[in-house]
Amino acid sequence: MSMAAITVPTVTHTPGHVEDLTEKVSVRNLDFYYGDNRALKNINVSLYQGKVTAFIGPSGCGKSTLLRVLNRMYDLYPNQNATGHVTLDNEDILSSSQDLNLLRAKVGMVFQKPTPFPMTIFENIAFGIRLYERLPKSELEDRVKHALHRAALWEEVKDKLGANGLSLSGGQQQRLCIARTVAVRPDVILFDEPCSALDPISTAKIEELIDELKDDYTIAIVTHNMQQAARVSDFTAFMYLGELVEFGETTRIFTNPNDRRTQDYITGRFG
Amino acid sequence: MATTFQSPLYASRRRRNRISMALAFAATAFGLSWLVLILAVLLWEGFSGLSLSVFTEMTPPPGSAGGLLNPIAGSLVMTTIAVLIGTPLGILAGTYMAEYGRYDGLTTVVRFINDILLSAPSIVVGLFVYEVMVAQMGHFSGWAGAVSLAVIVVPVVVRTTEDMLILVPDTLREAAASIGLPRSMMITKVAYRAARAGMVTGVLLAVARISGETAPLLFTALNNQFWSLNLNAPVASLPVVIFQFALSPYHDWQKLAWTGALIITLAVLALSIIARLLAAQRRSS
Amino acid sequence: MQPTGRPPVVDVALQGSGITVADQVDRARVLQRLRLGDAAYRQLTRAAAITVLIILGGIIVSLVWGSLPALRTFGVSFLYEDAWNPVTEKFGAIAPIYGTIVTSIIAMLIAVPVGLFIAVFLTELCPMWLRRPVGIAIELLAGIPSIIYGIWGLFVFAPFLQQHVQPFLIALFGELPVLSYLFAGPPYGIGILTAGLILAIMVLPFVTSISRDVFEAVPPVLKEAAYGLGCTTWEVSRYVVLPYARVGVIGGVMLGLGRALGETMAVTFVIGNAHRISGSLLAPGTTISATIANEFTEAVGDLYTSALIALGLILFVITFIVLAAARLMLMRLNARVGG
Repeated sequence: MSMAAITVPTVTHTPGHVEDLTEKVSVRNLDFYYGDNRALKNINVSLYQGKVTAFIGPSGCGKSTLLRVLNRMYDLYPNQNATGHVTLDNEDILSSSQDLNLLRAKVGMVFQKPTPFPMTIFENIAFGIRLYERLPKSELEDRVKHALHRAALWEEVKDKLGANGLSLSGGQQQRLCIARTVAVRPDVILFDEPCSALDPISTAKIEELIDELKDDYTIAIVTHNMQQAARVSDFTAFMYLGELVEFGETTRIFTNPNDRRTQDYITGRFG
Repeated sequence: MATTFQSPLYASRRRRNRISMALAFAATAFGLSWLVLILAVLLWEGFSGLSLSVFTEMTPPPGSAGGLLNPIAGSLVMTTIAVLIGTPLGILAGTYMAEYGRYDGLTTVVRFINDILLSAPSIVVGLFVYEVMVAQMGHFSGWAGAVSLAVIVVPVVVRTTEDMLILVPDTLREAAASIGLPRSMMITKVAYRAARAGMVTGVLLAVARISGETAPLLFTALNNQFWSLNLNAPVASLPVVIFQFALSPYHDWQKLAWTGALIITLAVLALSIIARLLAAQRRSS
Repeated sequence: MQPTGRPPVVDVALQGSGITVADQVDRARVLQRLRLGDAAYRQLTRAAAITVLIILGGIIVSLVWGSLPALRTFGVSFLYEDAWNPVTEKFGAIAPIYGTIVTSIIAMLIAVPVGLFIAVFLTELCPMWLRRPVGIAIELLAGIPSIIYGIWGLFVFAPFLQQHVQPFLIALFGELPVLSYLFAGPPYGIGILTAGLILAIMVLPFVTSISRDVFEAVPPVLKEAAYGLGCTTWEVSRYVVLPYARVGVIGGVMLGLGRALGETMAVTFVIGNAHRISGSLLAPGTTISATIANEFTEAVGDLYTSALIALGLILFVITFIVLAAARLMLMRLNARVGG
């Protein structure tokens, strides 16, 4: 099946708004199986450089599953398979010759539940950096500081870098995880419902963060919260029962969706 | 992005990973190969001596042929008595800990002490029973041997009984209480029945454990080269006879020791397999 | 009034207890009778629970009582004197204590790394269908009675070490400064090192299964976070799983240590039963439990017997401390996981 024959969902620009979009990650004809159960059906979507793409839809529609294909996290478990084409910078990441560690260095992930490692705050971040670079101590410290700044956490932890990561509050822990992900300098960051375990203030801080990060990264965010998707993202994809129903610019999706199902979901007809 | 993926750092990480995973694999092979080695030798040496006479003849004096009838009988008798003494005691204690006293201080202490007794050196148990029974009675006896084995049975049964009873869902208890059933009846008629398979498993495991115990019998039941089921006097047991025969310079005796070892191991393995099957059956129901 | 056709539930429950309930009987009276039995049962179970404490108390009391003659005669010097002479009735425990500790250390030095690596294999590398069989096989090692290890050690392992391994070790370390003392000949086959090696095999399954259980309890999302950064399997195990499971692993290690310290039969066969401390690991020695096992029935005289019981007391104290520490750690772990 040649690439030319596939219909890429159209991105309708708002009139008068011209933009150069670089496709960073492309997903074509993706099917995903848990055993015999087909959880994702013929997904076609693109993630654009420097943009935030939100994935919304009711529980069980496959949005987290899709995200976990992008860094081949499902590889850790038996009986989970993906078929189709998923490319990052035009390299097929589903192929067996793809080095998983390298892929995951380029595609970072922030999880629903904050997961600081059982180490100090400093170590949590330095750990990731040390995997890839041998830096002198001062440079390492700078990198850690920079990552904490980017995660808007520096002011709060700068005096207790030696404290255990678990001693922070939930929102701080999540920002620590974001700092850790950012420190490794990925190209793409995947957020899997990053705020669902957090209070509204922490949620607001993280949404701000995502807005700042998007200039340097390609971001995909799965969220249950439609308002969050509307606030934070440039593109939105609506998924339902394993299918990608509609994909387009966020403003259009929320004001003028093409598909009836999208409309029903956005207006709250079903959750 | 600055990261270079062809860097020597990455190569060394991959190398370290490969070496570590190889080590993990080798460690597993290492551990399993000892099991294979031991069982293979045991089968080889013990099987050749296995014959009907082992089960029908008494232990011989050095230099003649014979069997293991009296130690097998002695072991069976003492094990049975140990189980008869230790199991009810263990079940009752476990019942208190899981039912009446589930949240009180006594249970916490007993649980802690019980777990220590579970792993305590069995030779110390032998010394204890020596002091309390043999020294008082003035002679070695099969009763003392059985009691020392019972002391080893009790912690095992206590632990499994408590664990199994705690697993019984409270809804079952509440249903029993709601028809006016008194607590003791609820326990004996409902909870025990529900936990039965698990408790039997515990008893089987305890039996498997004491089948191979030698140290506590060394100075309680001592040994007896003749046929005797008089529990008021020294009684032969399979582990002690193996101990005596294996350390002797006589080839006939050493052969019998291997055969005896094979018999014990097969018994222990059979008990463990049955216990496991029961546990699996319980899980699937 | 009961529903027709169906036996009352109370009847069914009371079946076999020897009490029948006729339609007209006052149920309250029956339950009053049952209440007495109920209280009795409660007291019975409580007494049984207390019996467990009594057993422990009995062990401690009887050991102390039996040791008194020896302790009064020798005092604290019992702990560090190395004479062991039944004829002159001079007894010192240092040689058995040394042997107990050294063999256990050798056992743990081998069993802990090997056990941890096996746990890593079982949780990360092993294909799903193989996990249960391998796990069961490892547990079978734990089920083999120690006397089997003893005779296997004496007839198979020790000769093997004597002919093939020990001469190699003696030659290998012969010129090196400290190690030449540790591995000095002659190659007896039996000895402290052999006993330590056999103990290692016996302790291995304990360390492995407890480690595997705590590794499996690590939340998957934590491992995914590490993999998500691009960590290799080894890095995830070493830097995330192991630190997280640290308390449980230490608890398991100490349980294994408790077992190694108290092990009797396997050690008695292969340790050589020599009441002395040698510099070399290849020399024969003795442990507390081996000494008691070998000499108790031949002990003549109250002082000799009492010295042996005193050894038992020392062993019990050492293992009690180790096992109590292990239990406390595992309790702390359970509290953390639960809370």
